Amino acid sequence: MTRYGMTIDVDRCTGCGACMVACAVENNIPPAHEGATDRTGLTWIRVFKVGQAFVPMLCQQCGEETPCVGVCPQKAVEVDPATGIVGQMPERCLGCRYCMAACPYHARYFNWHDPAWPPGMEKTLNPDVAPRMRGVVEKCNFCHGRWHAAKQQAVAEGRDPAHVEYTPACVEACPTKAIRFGDLATLPKPPGSVRLLESLGTEPKIYYRSSKVDLRAGKEPSRG
Amino acid sequence: MDKRFISRGLDRCSTPRFLLWVAPWFALLAFGVYAAGLCLVKGLNQTNMDNRFAFGLWIFLDLTVIALGAGAFFTGFLLYILKLKELRAVINSAVVIGLVCYSGAVAVLMVDVGQPLRAWFTFWYPNVHSMLTEVTFCITCYLTVLAIEYLPILLKNRKLREVPGFLVFEFELHKLVYVFAGVGTFLSFFHQGSLGGLYGVLRGRPFAFREGFLVWPSTFFLFIISAAAVGPSFIVLTTWLVEKITKKSLVRPQVFHLLGRISGLLLSVYVLAKTVDTLIWINRTSPGRGFAASQYYEWKPFGTWILFAEIVVFGLVPALILLAPRFRARRAWLVSAAALACAGVALNRFVQTVQTLALPTLSFDKFLSYTPSWQEVGTFLAVVAYGVLVYSFSFRYLVLFPEERELKRETRVEEPEPVLAGRF
Amino acid sequence: MAKLIFLGAFYTVLVVVAATLLNALWRSIRDLRRGKTEHIRWHSDFHDLPAGDRACRHVLTGEFQHRECPNAFDCRGCQTHQHWVVEHPPREVPEPEEEIFGMSFPLNRFYHRGHTWARPETDGTLTIGLDDLGRRLLGTPDSIDLPQPGDRIEANGTAFRVRKREADVRVLSPVDGEVVETGAPDRDYLLRVKPIGGRFDLRHLLSGWEVRPWLLREMERLQLALSMEGAGATLADGGVPVSDISASYPKADWDAVCGEIFLQP
Repeated sequence: MTRYGMTIDVDRCTGCGACMVACAVENNIPPAHEGATDRTGLTWIRVFKVGQAFVPMLCQQCGEETPCVGVCPQKAVEVDPATGIVGQMPERCLGCRYCMAACPYHARYFNWHDPAWPPGMEKTLNPDVAPRMRGVVEKCNFCHGRWHAAKQQAVAEGRDPAHVEYTPACVEACPTKAIRFGDLATLPKPPGSVRLLESLGTEPKIYYRSSKVDLRAGKEPSRG
Repeated sequence: MDKRFISRGLDRCSTPRFLLWVAPWFALLAFGVYAAGLCLVKGLNQTNMDNRFAFGLWIFLDLTVIALGAGAFFTGFLLYILKLKELRAVINSAVVIGLVCYSGAVAVLMVDVGQPLRAWFTFWYPNVHSMLTEVTFCITCYLTVLAIEYLPILLKNRKLREVPGFLVFEFELHKLVYVFAGVGTFLSFFHQGSLGGLYGVLRGRPFAFREGFLVWPSTFFLFIISAAAVGPSFIVLTTWLVEKITKKSLVRPQVFHLLGRISGLLLSVYVLAKTVDTLIWINRTSPGRGFAASQYYEWKPFGTWILFAEIVVFGLVPALILLAPRFRARRAWLVSAAALACAGVALNRFVQTVQTLALPTLSFDKFLSYTPSWQEVGTFLAVVAYGVLVYSFSFRYLVLFPEERELKRETRVEEPEPVLAGRF
Repeated sequence: MAKLIFLGAFYTVLVVVAATLLNALWRSIRDLRRGKTEHIRWHSDFHDLPAGDRACRHVLTGEFQHRECPNAFDCRGCQTHQHWVVEHPPREVPEPEEEIFGMSFPLNRFYHRGHTWARPETDGTLTIGLDDLGRRLLGTPDSIDLPQPGDRIEANGTAFRVRKREADVRVLSPVDGEVVETGAPDRDYLLRVKPIGGRFDLRHLLSGWEVRPWLLREMERLQLALSMEGAGATLADGGVPVSDISASYPKADWDAVCGEIFLQP
């Protein structure tokens, strides 16, 4: 089974936000409610301005001692041992938000409002992705719906479904190809790539590279 | 009037006066229920919590209130298991306080979660590795035990006792009270601990993360000790408050002294353990995760003063006061020390919940602040009102302080007869 | 494995709690079926009496220094009492005293600490009434609920219920028995009972020379109760209690005063 990963070249990111829009469209993210603030929005991927650079932040799909998996009281979060993707089950989520407290990457978002689409906009919903309800947590899952579609395609075409390639929405939308996605083992990682908060031992699957800003918080692990 | 429902020989204020006392609390309760109702109906956007401050006022106050309510299990343990007979004087009051604290906390939790109707999922799909699962199971079981412990107190009401079934059931239940006390102690040990464990296991938050013993981080044990330490102090505080409000003597001074001494002893153990734990955290745990401890205190509102306040001002100081017999004997010192201890535990819970979330983790994170909305405050005020009301009704119609009658006898008899001296 | 330990622990706790609760429930049903309500009522009340009021009868008479009754005033089963009585037979009072503190306590009656008396009659029945102190406390009662012929009463259980002003007390029965007759206003007794199986056992009741020391103590307790319940400080001036004490203390909490004397906490 392919374990998926991502590389983000911060030097290439222009801060255009196309990835954010594509993600929202693909994953049926409802429009922001009146009264929604900067900190209550649903942005599975979000671009931050850090000094002179723009840094897209999304779920890092932690591999080792995944902080959010251990804490969920109802096992609504699971790491797929094959693909390494951390999946969230909104139907089982109680909305206790413990996983949000646990996540150091702030990659989890809560439905503070009832999702509502203006009349007519429901035609733009993606039928392959279930919308969530009020009071549950959601986050990036490397466009799981597209992975499923790719697997079905592979089976229909007689290829091995264990090794499929697909493209998440943000990767597809990025005009400068700052975000790249693929098999973690073979994905080329630009020199100087780091993973965020490596010293915490979470083993994230996203590699960041920037010559303009130091993204490391805390020291490198002593083991190297 | 309602004299028939009041225990024989106990003085209670007139019914109109009592109604005057409960009326504003009912009003507050109504307001708070409205605030909570808004959150349930319109969603949690009614609060000021957000994706960065996923836990806010409610979780902080829940943890505080559960720590303060620890007096219920601890007094039960000391009385029924360790046989410290003097505590018979306060056990009923402690049980009522515990019941109010835990039921209030659970009620607030039901409003706090996004999907309260899914609360049973934790029991159906339990994640045994999660501290929150442990908390959920323990607190639900313990609330049941507290309700069962309240039953005999309720059934001893003068009118209810007339029903033969109630009279007999209360008698038989009381014979087995030690079972419930034991179970309560077991459950409380684990849930007080797990509430600490909630934060100690957060690998993603180096400020909160602690090493520990097997699966339990040090905060597990620290929370148990602090809860056991502050339980008796809270009983001291509430008993003193009730004595002040009702203008009655309800327990003998020896009981206050005993509670103070127990609290002081445990508080000292806690301060020592906490100091050791903090030193380990500063020198080993946090740097081992790649974060120097000093950087947490660079953020202005949460400077090192908060650590000092928690351990010294609200920890060591009340511990020393409570341990010194001379200070303990003076009511003002005892009550002040008890209040400081309770404030210290509240501060500790605040640090664990709010400060943890306020601090940055990523290199480009900002330090954040959060102010609760009126709906959040209102919901919690509902719990306070509910607690006062339950306690007031229990105090009026039930016997919460068995020594009240004897103390009334002693104080009345000691009142000297006024002697008319000669006029000059 | 961890799941097994975790869930195992919780289900064990739940089972223990449920089992204990059900046990208490089952025992209660059994107690009710066996008619042990009065027995339990008295034991529960006795437990709630202040320690000083639970003193052994031999402390009242000065024979013991300190002893709290371990049998809820049921001397019939008490080993200590039996031994003491055998080794120290009750001494005869040189002159029979029928009047103590101005109140009438006839010698042919046996007295219960709850202020009822029992008088064995020639036909094997026993008459029961309220003693003089009890009568003066209650004066003319507002109402009195007597058991009906055929009802059973048990020693230390409820004999009858009296109401006076705000007082509502269950007066304790001195003996086990079955009611054969209720007293009329012109009779000096309230109940006539016959024994249940055999003879009456009166070992737990006070008689003869024991009555005076007991009454002395009761007068002190009454004084304490009166001053405690808002009657103002009273002085032991050696006076005789009036025939309707409650009329002299209109402001006192009569329920509490009667509760003290009739052993109702």
